[in-house]
Amino acid sequence: MKLTNINKYFGNKHVLKNTTLDFPAGQTTVMVGPSGSGKSTILRSLNLLVIPESGQYDFGKHHLDFSHKVSNKTKLAIRRETGMVFQDYNLFPNKTVLQNITEGPIQVLKQPKQAAIRNAQKLLVKVGLANYGDAYPHELSGGQAQRVAIARALAMNPKYILLDEPTSALDPELELSVLKVLSQLAAERQSMVIVTHNMIFAKRVADRIIFVENGEILYDGTPEEFFAVNNPNQRIKNFISSMTMEDL
Amino acid sequence: MWEIIKTSLPQLLAAGFKYTIPLAIISFFFGLVIALVTALIRLSRQQGAFMILKWIAGFYVWLFRSTPLLVQLFIVFFGLPYLRIKGILPHGIKLEPFTAGIITFSLNTGAYASETIRAAISAVPVGQWEAGAAIGMTRWQILRRVILPQALRVALPPLSNSFISLVKDTSLAASITIMEMFAVSQQIAAENYQPLLMYSLVAMVYAAFTTVLSYLQTYLERVVNQHVSVKR
Repeated sequence: MKLTNINKYFGNKHVLKNTTLDFPAGQTTVMVGPSGSGKSTILRSLNLLVIPESGQYDFGKHHLDFSHKVSNKTKLAIRRETGMVFQDYNLFPNKTVLQNITEGPIQVLKQPKQAAIRNAQKLLVKVGLANYGDAYPHELSGGQAQRVAIARALAMNPKYILLDEPTSALDPELELSVLKVLSQLAAERQSMVIVTHNMIFAKRVADRIIFVENGEILYDGTPEEFFAVNNPNQRIKNFISSMTMEDL
Repeated sequence: MWEIIKTSLPQLLAAGFKYTIPLAIISFFFGLVIALVTALIRLSRQQGAFMILKWIAGFYVWLFRSTPLLVQLFIVFFGLPYLRIKGILPHGIKLEPFTAGIITFSLNTGAYASETIRAAISAVPVGQWEAGAAIGMTRWQILRRVILPQALRVALPPLSNSFISLVKDTSLAASITIMEMFAVSQQIAAENYQPLLMYSLVAMVYAAFTTVLSYLQTYLERVVNQHVSVKR
């Protein structure tokens, strides 16, 4: 996945400024930065929930130039090859856990129902919710709901999984249950792009860290360098220390 | 008094089952179809020539909500026969009373219900659209499989209200010569000189019909709400 010279405006606000970023396959890329910096907008550009005004996007065989209209067909194709996990889960409340997971495979990928159900059950085991297939979303804790959302994304067998602050709505214990699943996926070399405020987690799982502020990329490199005590960038040092509450 | 009730109640009920209830049910069905189509047109983000359709839908809702139902009935039944256009409609549009009733009640209900449905669809969090889009569903798939089932939950109580109103409003059909319950009660009252008794009796029959419908509403609400507690 590669974004080249992306520009995005919300009204008069220039949220992404000539952004160029590469998201290598098989890696976990973690995007951090203050709220409103544009990191979620970058993430949503990757599955075209947000369409930038200009720039290019390369993903597998797709090559998009945002100065032209993106066709519906392209949008659907790219979304089939990516999975997304949202901050507030966005499970379908009118469907069971199992139906939430099989909805995409059956309706979009046209998989046979039985095969989709079998696969969904395997995924539920993977996220530690083997017995929850018949539960409805409102019966789940936040941590469980988010793990179902991860299973729903995985069920599409996506090339990349995009996670938009997946644990920001969770208390620390529930957060851990979700982070464990994500660590496991990272260890399996699932390609992921994660937006998070959790610095400890970022340090643990990231193959690469991107720091975004005001629509600009201030850092793009290894986590070791990013978290190094002698990081020459004072802004990043301040950000990390406030996120980890070092100065409290 | 009991003698009068015993002889006239069967006539009222017969008129109820023959005209009042069919008028209400058929009109509500078509009204819902019109309402859904109208709501979807008005919610659509399509541009260009589609804007004309949006304007027509908006005009339709405005027209039927801002004029009295009784006047609408009169225009469709008594007025349209005079809509004569040389070469195309030399004899105007002459409708059977029942047909005129169905058309007017459907359009009237459709205008109100379209606002209910529009609000209910808008009330489903945008995250539900995004979640559907993120797994590659088309807009139509998301609407049908994710949004409408959730919107139904929001729309059911106000739609039930519309239906109950419609059942009572069918009494206006008496004015376009449909022999529904109210018309029959008028006729009997004219014969036996018991207007208080006859109109009270027909009022009780309407009340009985709408009470049954209210129970049905409670039941339906329980069915659509069973898997949803708090909105996430």
